Amino acid sequence: MPPRSNSVALLWWGVFTVAGVWAQRTVPGVDFLAPGIVLALQVQAGHRTLWLALVWMLLLEGTGNLPFGYGLAWYGTLAALYLMGRWLFEARSFAFMCLLGAALGTLHPLLTYGLASLGDLTVDTRRLAVEGVLQAVAFPLVWMAADILFPRMLRQDAKSL
Amino acid sequence: MNKPKKIAVVIVAGLFVYLSLYTWNLRTGHLDALSSHTGLDLSSLILRPGQWAGEKAVEFWERYIYLVDLKRQNDELVQRNARLIRQNMILGSEARSADRLEQLLGFTPPAQWNFSGARVIAHRMGPAGALATLAVDRGTTSGVEEDMPVVSLDGVVGRILRSGAVSSTVLLLTDANSRVAVIGEHNRSAGMLSGQGYGEPLVVHYMNLNAVIDPGELLLSSGLSGIYPKGLPVARVVRVRRSDISLFLTVEAEPLADVAGLEEVLLLRRELADEGGQGPAEQEAAPGAAAQ
Repeated sequence: MPPRSNSVALLWWGVFTVAGVWAQRTVPGVDFLAPGIVLALQVQAGHRTLWLALVWMLLLEGTGNLPFGYGLAWYGTLAALYLMGRWLFEARSFAFMCLLGAALGTLHPLLTYGLASLGDLTVDTRRLAVEGVLQAVAFPLVWMAADILFPRMLRQDAKSL
Repeated sequence: MNKPKKIAVVIVAGLFVYLSLYTWNLRTGHLDALSSHTGLDLSSLILRPGQWAGEKAVEFWERYIYLVDLKRQNDELVQRNARLIRQNMILGSEARSADRLEQLLGFTPPAQWNFSGARVIAHRMGPAGALATLAVDRGTTSGVEEDMPVVSLDGVVGRILRSGAVSSTVLLLTDANSRVAVIGEHNRSAGMLSGQGYGEPLVVHYMNLNAVIDPGELLLSSGLSGIYPKGLPVARVVRVRRSDISLFLTVEAEPLADVAGLEEVLLLRRELADEGGQGPAEQEAAPGAAAQ
């Protein structure tokens, strides 16, 4: 990839990360960076997706207050669901993103409750359920917005053969 | 190896690695420290410029647009200042009297505490933020450590849960995992105060059925846990109920600090003996020791 593309990619993902962190500050309990993992896998899977996942996982763990493990399980499950789902669904369809959002919305309360139980912590299950619903709604919408705004010059999937 | 077997092996290996990492971190805390010193600090660096810009904009607005309110505010502050000076004179006299009495009775002076200010940069953030917390812009480089008490001018806010290099997470009093040992201001009945989540009343546990406690009474930190200094205002009792089937009173209280609206907090640090010089007790003991 030419140096200019690298700079544009760095800038774009940097802005996405900043916007995601501010969105997470505004709406607690919802991960606005997760759609970025799927988008990164769609447009250019590889080292860049791994680096993004690592940075966002540390962000999630750092800003969170559960024992370490949420980010790893969260992004690991998301990547596994996406890679397996590609066998059955059109990878870039909005319906598939809605299904992924619903899966994450279900996973959030289960994962949080499981980790809190392991750490002997008490969590508000009602609030977790509401956050799960918000996550399910936000995921496809954020993915769609990011997909529209993603620079065409960085897309490997859109390049001519 | 066929495909389903491969998938099963990958899933089992993944689970094994995950549980190994989780267990290793529980024992050592290395991954928690890593995420605090990277993720928490990175989020702080991302949020601070935006907050700074927002504050500057608000400051500009207040300075130039609301200038007309300044005279009225100034008059109110002058009146308030006069009231506080009078209160301070009375309290100062009482404090000096208490000091004299304690010296006469030979009490060991309590540990000294240092106050330092911190700005709130965020409240609960991200999907892994399951507990009621807030983030402040002070970390280990400013001497912040885990379990340091955090207070506001109204009362106790919570304690430091985790700290990164330039930012820290505070576990709020209102969280269900928070525990503070308290005593009543007037009746000195002891109990354990815990939260039930934001918007819900705090609950005092283990207060004996025959203990005396009144609605409206202030609950102070008892200092028994070793985290909070003795005598900090924590909450106010709102309801006391007696149960026929329990050995303890059911006491509900409301926090004094408005945790949702906090913008600045104070961090309390215990002054070490060699840090702040000799305390009064050591100063008194020193000449005697020299004479021996």
